[in-house]
Amino acid sequence: MNTHLLLQLVVNGLIVGALYGVVAMSFVLIYKASQVVNFAQGEFLLIGAWVCWWLLTTYQLPFLVGMLVTFAFMLVFGIALQIVVLRPLIGEPIISVIMVTIGLSIFFQALCKWLFGVFAQPFPPIFATQQVSFLGLEIQTVYLMSLGISVAMMAAFGWFFRYSKHGLAMRATAFNQQVAQSLGISVRNVFALAWAISAVVSSVAGIVVGIVNGVSSALSLYGIKVFPAVILGGLDSVVGAVIGGLVIGLLENLAQYVDGQYLHWGNLYEIVPFYVLVVILMIKPYGLFGTRDIERV
Amino acid sequence: MATQSLNPAGDFRTTYAADTTIFPTAGSRYAVLAGLAILCLAPLWLERYWLSLLIQIGYFGVAALGLNILVGFTGQISIGHAAFFGFGAFASAWLSNNLGLPVFFAVPLAGVVTTAVGLVFGLPAARLKGLYLAIATLAAQYILQDFFARANWFTGGVAGTAAEPFSILGFAFDTDQRYFYVVLAYVVATYVLATNLMRSRDGRALVAVRDHYLSAEMMGINLTRYRTLSFGLSAFFAGIGGALYAHYLQFVSVEGFGILLSIQFLGMIIIGGLGSIMGTLMGTAFMVLIPEAMGWLTDAVRGSGLDRALSLKDNLSFLREMAIGLVIVLFLMFEPDGLAHRWRQVKAYWKLYPFSH
Amino acid sequence: MIRTATLTSALALALALPAGAAEIPIGHLADQSGATSDVGVPYAQGVADALAWVNRKGGVKGERMAVESVDYGYQVPRAVALYKKWTGGRDKVAAIQGWGTADTEALSAFVTKDEIPYVSGSYAAQVSDPTGASGKAKAAPYNFFYGPTYSDALRGMLIWAAEDWKAKGRPGKPKFVHMGGNHPYPNSPKEAGEAMARELGFDVLPAIVFALAPGDYTSQCLTAKNAGANYAYLGNTGGSNISLLKSCKAVGTDIQFMGNVWGMDENAAKAAGEAANGVVFPVRTAAVTGGTAPGLTTAAEISKESDAAGTVYRPVHYYAGICAALYMTEALAWAKDNGGLAGPTVRKGFYQKKGWVPARMEGVCVPSTWTESDHRGMMEVHIYRAKVSGPTDGALADLMKAGTIKLEPVKTVELPRKPEWQGW
Repeated sequence: MNTHLLLQLVVNGLIVGALYGVVAMSFVLIYKASQVVNFAQGEFLLIGAWVCWWLLTTYQLPFLVGMLVTFAFMLVFGIALQIVVLRPLIGEPIISVIMVTIGLSIFFQALCKWLFGVFAQPFPPIFATQQVSFLGLEIQTVYLMSLGISVAMMAAFGWFFRYSKHGLAMRATAFNQQVAQSLGISVRNVFALAWAISAVVSSVAGIVVGIVNGVSSALSLYGIKVFPAVILGGLDSVVGAVIGGLVIGLLENLAQYVDGQYLHWGNLYEIVPFYVLVVILMIKPYGLFGTRDIERV
Repeated sequence: MATQSLNPAGDFRTTYAADTTIFPTAGSRYAVLAGLAILCLAPLWLERYWLSLLIQIGYFGVAALGLNILVGFTGQISIGHAAFFGFGAFASAWLSNNLGLPVFFAVPLAGVVTTAVGLVFGLPAARLKGLYLAIATLAAQYILQDFFARANWFTGGVAGTAAEPFSILGFAFDTDQRYFYVVLAYVVATYVLATNLMRSRDGRALVAVRDHYLSAEMMGINLTRYRTLSFGLSAFFAGIGGALYAHYLQFVSVEGFGILLSIQFLGMIIIGGLGSIMGTLMGTAFMVLIPEAMGWLTDAVRGSGLDRALSLKDNLSFLREMAIGLVIVLFLMFEPDGLAHRWRQVKAYWKLYPFSH
Repeated sequence: MIRTATLTSALALALALPAGAAEIPIGHLADQSGATSDVGVPYAQGVADALAWVNRKGGVKGERMAVESVDYGYQVPRAVALYKKWTGGRDKVAAIQGWGTADTEALSAFVTKDEIPYVSGSYAAQVSDPTGASGKAKAAPYNFFYGPTYSDALRGMLIWAAEDWKAKGRPGKPKFVHMGGNHPYPNSPKEAGEAMARELGFDVLPAIVFALAPGDYTSQCLTAKNAGANYAYLGNTGGSNISLLKSCKAVGTDIQFMGNVWGMDENAAKAAGEAANGVVFPVRTAAVTGGTAPGLTTAAEISKESDAAGTVYRPVHYYAGICAALYMTEALAWAKDNGGLAGPTVRKGFYQKKGWVPARMEGVCVPSTWTESDHRGMMEVHIYRAKVSGPTDGALADLMKAGTIKLEPVKTVELPRKPEWQGW
């Protein structure tokens, strides 16, 4: 038993898991508000990362400014997307809307390649120290930044949904659209808000991954990668999404540990989360934190 | 009741048989037969390019039909269909390569083997609903893909495996012109099978599960049985489609059965129309032809004044991809119920022409 | 009578007309928008430019080629459809410039049956055996590619690694690990590499899998570091290798990484930044941009086909594309003089020369030899090292000019053409 390696992998799992959690959170936001599974979530990451990269390299903006401008752009982008594409589809079968997001993902994938090229591009160096040492593990500074931002965001969301007017409106809409509408909540605005926030949150993850790995179109695969995290936590629970992300991150790393140390079967880190997912779902069919549908006839 | 040549103005059907008939009028029957006859002659005058597209529509169409039974008729979402498609391909290749089975028998048998796999992965359906089930199928996708890469004895591992060409009594269907008939026969057989299945007691049970499973349960329909069954059925068609694919390309590799193909299968049935047998075929044709059509369009633009003015050159390929995405989005914005629905509307329009509205 | 004569002459004219204006149809599959577009774009540009250049210089023995370059987005069904289009109609293509592993293998049975020479961008040893005599792979008599097979490239790098280990005078046996996704392409040289490593006295560690997409691969790096790996082969393409290199740099491993032909280039070095510093990888040409070989002048001329200003930086894949295209045109030229452009004749055209370098490409295209029983064109492995010193944001051309990114030749390994190495 190599406890040192195990410890390092656990720390790494939590750090990467937090990132999955952020993407999962942005996924859940849209689902909760509008019941739409957004297959274009990965492209949100991609767009956020490219825009930030473009601002930083072309206009030489300082990182913080660049990131804030990116957030503003994503906010507008999310709202615009909702108004132009998704608003006309309100009331149509959900499955068609899901297919529309698949179409959007094809569209934006190609658009990004057209605008920004097909080569992976590095971010300019952002932190003076690239990595810090923690429990014997060298951790990239940007992961710490992402950890900080995600924790701050989660706290903000906690407050937002519990106390703010818009947050309450969103929860009401998620609970029952008709009732919410009859209470004077503009469901359309709530949807737009959900897409906007989701786009912004995704862009954080996109930028972080971009700084770590360079920006390339393959970054959008994160969108599909977080599905298990979303489901594990429960589709409609923001907290669940974060915990689901952490669990998946941990599972990946632990699987790699068992594989690398004992089994040598290869590829366990990619597959084990799925096995565990199925087992958990068999025990808890609505995920760890999802609301159980109570059906009355 | 004799088949009429036109739809009567009212509803005069007095038996269940009349209500569920496949061809309500003689005209529709003749139209289908004529269409089949034309297709039978297609290899004589169509170029290989078109034949290969038709073959593609054929084997994807058979597999998509399975997905439509699962999603459109039973109301379960699956994003792991490509894995079953791949399993059928490997199974058929394995059966003919290792057991020395003639391909003629290997193809349906591959369907049966894939059914068994589908039933296993359908078991979570007994407990899971909606998207939770969808993710369980996503797990099936990754688990099977991993299995393909690992199981050397079965799939040839990551190197892939060769598949024999289809043959009957030593007559090899190894050209597009010949293989076209094989695919056509399977398309006709599976679509007739599915249409009839949906008219049977079991088919109605599946629809009842989709529409209101609590009521269905109260009427004595065994939910677990039918949900799992629909997974088996969908895997059966996927397996047949995959086997046809394998013997067409004569090579099967783990690449190409990924999540993206699964999503494409979903696209086919959503665009075609959920719960519509013929819609499945239309949707498949749409998804197969869209990239080609956009290719023709970019070919037309290439080198033209527009190209030079905007100096598009290589960027045309991105524009083509964007157009594919855009067409899907726009299509669903204007026709969220799919091609089958649009087709019915077109028919209704001409039925009343020139007095519609 | 007169009427019949006019009719026959008109008929003859009608038949002769397409022949008179004849062009040689060539198919070109390119990935400009799909998963492998980061390397597919420069390679396809090289192929397209070289063919355009040959056309401008008068074509193949005075006959122009009608090249249809199509982006197929790295999707097998689309590649198959295009192939049928090119081979089904009246203007059957004389040869095809292909691309990826999956489509090359999918089309292999078809090109054999239709007898169409197919020059791929996939160098899997599995398509290097034209007769199937090796028993390791099925016969692929019409598949060609320019470059060492993935397996031979790895064998060459391992030979270098063994020497490097000795030269560094480190104690004990070096440890080798194969890293890559669970896919045909990264795994193609796995068996060959591990066998070779054992033969050379390496300890072979259990292979480590990392996905073919960017992600966080810290856990893989920790595993490799913990197992004490000294030399690691990266089987994946650019994007995912970049992620792994970056993760490993953060973890602080002391591993000599060895990329594969498509896994490392100027663009990947730029994206990975200092994490790519020191990675060795095989290059298929004897020179890269900035060199002095006489063939580079021709290459610069070819480059002007798509870049009249001559400012675009051409990465290694571009030259490989040029060579792949020029071998094909010279084989076509031979066939034209020796009985016509039918597939089997063109195929023979590839067998005519030993140590073959296309005209005016001396010092760039590596002398290659194809024979009827062996399609391993090249047994030479040119190993280069990526050197990165400093931040890599900015235009690639500037970075290369300033020397922030450098490609240094390390060693050229000449492998023996062992028959037992064929096909795997």
